[in-house]
Amino acid sequence: MKYFTPWRWNPIRGEYENGTPAPLQGTGEISAIDAFSNRTMLLLGGTGFVGKVLLAMVLDRFPEMKHLVVQVRRKKNVGGEQRFYSEVLNSPPLRPIVERLGGETAVRNKVSIVEGDLDEPLCGLSSDQITALKGSVDIVVNLAGLVEFDPPLNESIEPNVYGTQHVIDLVKALEAKLVHISTCYVAGKKDGHISEETPIAGYFPLRDQTPDKHFSVTEELKWCNQFVEETRATRSTNPRPVRERLREGGMARADSWGWTNIYTYTKSMGEQVIAQTPGLTYAIVRPAIVESSMQFPFPGWNEGFTTSAPLVLMGGSGVKGWPVRRDGPLEIIPVDLVAAGILIVTAAVLCGKHKPVYHLASADQNPIMLPRLVAFLGMNSRYKHKHMKSGNRLANVWKAYVETRVITVESLQSRRAKLHRRLDVIHATLTLGKTVLGGNQLDPYLKSLRDTRRQIRAQEITLDKFLPFMFHNKYIFETRNIREASRMLTNEDLKRLNWDPETIDWADYWVNIHTKGIEKWIRPMFAPQRKAAG
Amino acid sequence: MNKAAFYDLDGTLLHCDLVREHAYYARNDRSLVRSAWQLSLAVLRVPWLAALAPYSRRRFNISLFRAYKGMHRDRLVGLADDLFEVTLKPSIFLQAKSLIDCTRDLGYRNVLVTGTLDFTVRPIALHFGIDDVICNRLEFKNHIATGIALPPLLAEDEKARSIREYAEKEDIDLSQSCAFSDSAADVPMLTAVGHPVATNPTPKLRRKALQNNWPIIELRENSSSLPPFLTTSAKTL
Repeated sequence: MKYFTPWRWNPIRGEYENGTPAPLQGTGEISAIDAFSNRTMLLLGGTGFVGKVLLAMVLDRFPEMKHLVVQVRRKKNVGGEQRFYSEVLNSPPLRPIVERLGGETAVRNKVSIVEGDLDEPLCGLSSDQITALKGSVDIVVNLAGLVEFDPPLNESIEPNVYGTQHVIDLVKALEAKLVHISTCYVAGKKDGHISEETPIAGYFPLRDQTPDKHFSVTEELKWCNQFVEETRATRSTNPRPVRERLREGGMARADSWGWTNIYTYTKSMGEQVIAQTPGLTYAIVRPAIVESSMQFPFPGWNEGFTTSAPLVLMGGSGVKGWPVRRDGPLEIIPVDLVAAGILIVTAAVLCGKHKPVYHLASADQNPIMLPRLVAFLGMNSRYKHKHMKSGNRLANVWKAYVETRVITVESLQSRRAKLHRRLDVIHATLTLGKTVLGGNQLDPYLKSLRDTRRQIRAQEITLDKFLPFMFHNKYIFETRNIREASRMLTNEDLKRLNWDPETIDWADYWVNIHTKGIEKWIRPMFAPQRKAAG
Repeated sequence: MNKAAFYDLDGTLLHCDLVREHAYYARNDRSLVRSAWQLSLAVLRVPWLAALAPYSRRRFNISLFRAYKGMHRDRLVGLADDLFEVTLKPSIFLQAKSLIDCTRDLGYRNVLVTGTLDFTVRPIALHFGIDDVICNRLEFKNHIATGIALPPLLAEDEKARSIREYAEKEDIDLSQSCAFSDSAADVPMLTAVGHPVATNPTPKLRRKALQNNWPIIELRENSSSLPPFLTTSAKTL
């Protein structure tokens, strides 16, 4: 469905503009089509959310590319190749593209699979495989890594730091170039505009605020290894689970340097390993929070758990008070723009016209302010609960008609304390009732109370994870480098790849694309988890 | 050349009108107080709009759109699905969907030509599987509605002009195209195509249709009633 109108929405000014937009004009200093023609790309992490869209985009838009090698990890008894053809090619973003290309056979001619793992030296590729690929692979695009915010420290370090070192070794062995995907949030706890020009090596977020400016990845890894060993060694004497202590210790260490969580801390170290490698041709791509696709492969595709999905689902379940900054944006970017951005950077690297760092974000051109998102969350809750056939009717009416509000963290803490006090009182009353009455009449109520508490706790944990991005810091990531690279493309390239977050109509995107995408693709993934937990 | 089926919306495909649509947004403002205030204003405006409607559809639209002044676009976009589920979907005429499916199957491009606002039209167009939409848009300044409709304001003659412009740009043969409307205000739109169809017509349009020998169909009724030119095409398929 399309509108026949002379008007187009200008999201930045918040008004309609008349007239047709000027056709896209590139300077032609970089030609993505030429850069990809007869070249071979090795893709690491092609099975993830961004990886699948990137893979689909390459297959769909760049038939000139000679060959694609995709590294896929073995999962239990399923081999990498089998996983790729059964799981990845059959996934919703790739299925229509594969069909259009002529089915699995056409893909087999274009793509080959190597089984491997980031945790192993040379990413698990054998010397025979390296010999076969050496000289033919021109560029390695690394999307692999652990994106969980607060895993046990060792589980994050393995893929994000040591894994990156293995990727570098592989790139050197293949004599190729590297495009490494990181995150904008390696900036840590910062406010305001975050530059792409900040030196990578030796960086830590509190650098400007401490007299000691020294940060070394080698020394940091030494500390981490020692911490992990000591924690494991006290397994018998300390009653708390090792994983929990590794998580807490990692968070405390990340916090001491100024990073928001273990993920950003380890990703920053991974970047530093790359930047400190002599002779390596590389570009680091840092997307912000990657969200549902705008257009490609179809509007609303999403399978990311570390996106705003948990927040949207919480909003849909009726949460009313949201601790966000009134003056801050949420740095989100649709996954298809991220895939296009990565390909633009890859072309720039192949043409030798690249910069070390590229932010892929939206707020410096077209910010979506957090209070607007809070209002959108409320409208989604309204729609859902108004039409909900199950559950308590009164609760549904309350969730439908009470508006969402922006609150402070203090107010959030006080609300939480009150809520838990009330739940304690209910619990005490039910327990007393059970003692007095005897029997099992009150057991279902106690069970229901336990479930409610578990859900509330899960929501609190999720919200706390997002506080650094919504409340404690106000991030605006500069995106000068990607805009410059996009302008350097040829006009023919611009028909296939474009970087244009300034055109996103956030109301339409959030309400009609993103929220519906999450409800369709993510909610069913959460449901079995909840069932299992229950 | 291609052919198209142009559909009016209110009264033709569903039983709803711009006043009820606005009333929905008015009573769903951000707070109960604001909702009550907006709804009161909407109710007070009804006699004036009722008097204006038979006199000039254009002035009616201008006057009604003024009532949107001050509303935030995010809210209008965000409430549109709910408006559709609560108010519009139940008011869709029984045979509306099958008529649209029929014209699509016969190779017509389905186009909605309506005075309704873009954010309200969206879920309706998606529900019917409409290809293109020609509709009104509100002016916004910094996301807030000014109460003015952006030109061209779709009503009366402007619908016919928009259809001609659309046909020219999209390579549509108007003599092979058809148009469906319920209102005498849409006579210019109906006469712009080769196959006009009076659909659930008002008495005034019914008289006009009988004079011009236009087919008359009723989408409100349960029985199928395709206009003759569509029946013939359907048989030849």
